[in-house]
Amino acid sequence: MNTFVSRFAPSSSVIPNSRGILADEEEEFSDLTWGSHAGFGNLGTKGIPTFEVPHLADPSAFLRMHTDDYADPNCRIKIQHGTTTLAFRFKGGIIVAVDSRATAGSYIASGTVKKVIEINPYLLGTMAGGAADCQYWETYLGIQCRLHELRNRERISVAAASKYLSNLVYSYKGMGLSMGTMICGWDKTGPALFYVDSDGTRLKGDIFSVGSGSTYAYGVLDQGYHWDLTDGEAQELGRRSIYAAGHRDAYSGNTINLYHVKEEGWDFIGNYDVTKMHYDGPGNVLGATGGGYGYEIRAAGRSASDADAIDTSA
Amino acid sequence: MAECSFGLIGKGYVILASDSTAARSIVKMKENEDKIKALGPNLIMATGGEPGDTIQFAEYVERNLRLYHIRHNHTLRPSSAAAWIRRTLADSLRSRNPYSVNLILGGYDHTTSTPNLYWIDYLGTMVDIPFAAHGYGAYFALSTLDRFHDPEATLEEGLETLKKCIREVEKRLIVSLGKFKVKIIDRNGMREIEL
Amino acid sequence: MADGHQHPIEHRFNPYAENGGTVLAIAGADFAVIAGDTRQTEGYSIQTRYAPKVFKLTDRAVLAVNGFQADCSEFVKRVMQRIEWYRHAHSKQMPLKAIARMIQTMLYGKRFFPYYTYNILGGIEEDGTGAVYSFDPVGSYEREACRAAGAASSLIQPFLDNQIYFKNQTPAPGAAPFVPGNLPIDVVLPIVIDSFTSATERHIEVGDGLEMFVVVAKGRDVSQLASLNAEEIPATNPGEERVFIVRRELKKD
Repeated sequence: MNTFVSRFAPSSSVIPNSRGILADEEEEFSDLTWGSHAGFGNLGTKGIPTFEVPHLADPSAFLRMHTDDYADPNCRIKIQHGTTTLAFRFKGGIIVAVDSRATAGSYIASGTVKKVIEINPYLLGTMAGGAADCQYWETYLGIQCRLHELRNRERISVAAASKYLSNLVYSYKGMGLSMGTMICGWDKTGPALFYVDSDGTRLKGDIFSVGSGSTYAYGVLDQGYHWDLTDGEAQELGRRSIYAAGHRDAYSGNTINLYHVKEEGWDFIGNYDVTKMHYDGPGNVLGATGGGYGYEIRAAGRSASDADAIDTSA
Repeated sequence: MAECSFGLIGKGYVILASDSTAARSIVKMKENEDKIKALGPNLIMATGGEPGDTIQFAEYVERNLRLYHIRHNHTLRPSSAAAWIRRTLADSLRSRNPYSVNLILGGYDHTTSTPNLYWIDYLGTMVDIPFAAHGYGAYFALSTLDRFHDPEATLEEGLETLKKCIREVEKRLIVSLGKFKVKIIDRNGMREIEL
Repeated sequence: MADGHQHPIEHRFNPYAENGGTVLAIAGADFAVIAGDTRQTEGYSIQTRYAPKVFKLTDRAVLAVNGFQADCSEFVKRVMQRIEWYRHAHSKQMPLKAIARMIQTMLYGKRFFPYYTYNILGGIEEDGTGAVYSFDPVGSYEREACRAAGAASSLIQPFLDNQIYFKNQTPAPGAAPFVPGNLPIDVVLPIVIDSFTSATERHIEVGDGLEMFVVVAKGRDVSQLASLNAEEIPATNPGEERVFIVRRELKKD
């Protein structure tokens, strides 16, 4: 059998390796768990998380069988999918905008999900794919970033933080993690934006959109984007792009969360209801051009007929 | 399925645009194929779908509408033509050998001085809308059109909106669709333009 | 099969079942209600009419679990053990938000062999406000004002959205605007009861009995609970938060 499987073979129950310790069922808690050194849940005092895996030849196939609703819509454990997230770099920093819908199949499991994870006051991460994977590992990344600060007396760069996350999820490749995230922050180099996913891809860039509604978000974002956007224009572009995705993609919607990363750290700009954006627009906020975003609202009373424009006397 | 077509109406006109590649397997057979067929003096149709079916169906429709013109001495209005085409596709779907053809139909109705645009798919779904897209392009351009389309746009503004859609698809779609053929229909009839 | 002898027989290993039932929780300004029915099913047969799904963890935290009963009871047992250890180590009860984060890490610790459990944690925060935390099986969580989970969640959640968040409601002309999260307990409990009686009418896996836990903040007036036949569960620290339980019958067919 291959090395991957032997790593999880039941005979050697506790194997320390690069990706941590795979716990024996009964060894989940150490004596340390009694006290305040209990660490971060399954994360022991050594800082290495432990995970229990089923005693099977192919644990990831097991997981896939029970959790992958693409392969089998009747699988029991529904992991939430469907999202639109975006982030873009411009003159005034980085705009991060996301929707708030979580779906399990066609059921809207939640309309109030926080898909921007506030890693620390100057780093943001976005959430697409498995909600728990993103929440857990980005919280964990926050711990590691703080430790970096304490050890090195300076803040971690966005490049380093995203590389840490990328290497971490890459070490679990093939185990079924599902994340598509953008790590956004401001460091010595200025505003920095990285896309990191569970395949192990890590890309530096100016514009990213992730999730089922990303194509629709790109359709508005790309056509309205340029580097010299003012803060207000950029925020409006982020809002409109997520609105567009919420409008066209059934798996996205409910509300928009908007953040602006600046030199002093990130700012939460606001939460906007997609339906309200459609009919009324964001109201009197920075960058708003007035009126609803909806096509039917914008084009109301406008007719393509040219009957009036034609001189019929001739 | 690397095919893409767009349609949009403006003040007194309809623009149809379609990619012009004909592919077979992994080979590009032709890069100036005209996928927009004139169905009469005031009606044009962009086709996509199963190779062979597209041309056969377009010609079948064109001949029938021509026959109607000869018999009755006037052409079908775009709305009637669209209804007939949709019905033909729906009947075909229930036959032993259905056509797999997706269509965007654009016409100018002289009786109401109104441009009309219809989105029709191979299942016989039809909608009357101000802008339309078929193929992967729809995933990128529909939001662009939601944002920028204006029913009262001048031809120049309409073409600028179309260019935005094509630029977006060129920018984000992994396959290159090549050049787009663009045709316009208005009260003066049909004409092709270079973008 | 070269390795067939290492792993003798391995037909589809399925250690999961679905045991029906439904749970919900609603947070008020200074209280929280956590409720669950007591029916346990497998397929079309009812295994028992009394299988509790809602558990008191501390004087200010109550956990509702739903999904696969064996995983649920195992999980609740481990949560309770960790909470007890915390009390021994720190000489205080674990705060609600700490329990919520602990539940996340415990669920995520089995990311590759998940507990098939949907958890809803309800109770009183350290600032005295009512809170509800809902979890997915692998630990993603969120604080909310209300949440329904389990078999009839898709029947109950829209009702709760309407009655608790006032979704799709408009105040009468001249009336004060709706403020979600401020409903009094004598409005919330009938909503909970109606949710379960209605779910029992339309879902085969829901019924038999209803247990509603009410956690009230320190010093809050509890006179409204008297008329509901609420029974108080003795507190570990008297004079702080209090937990009551209200039981109701549900249809048994």
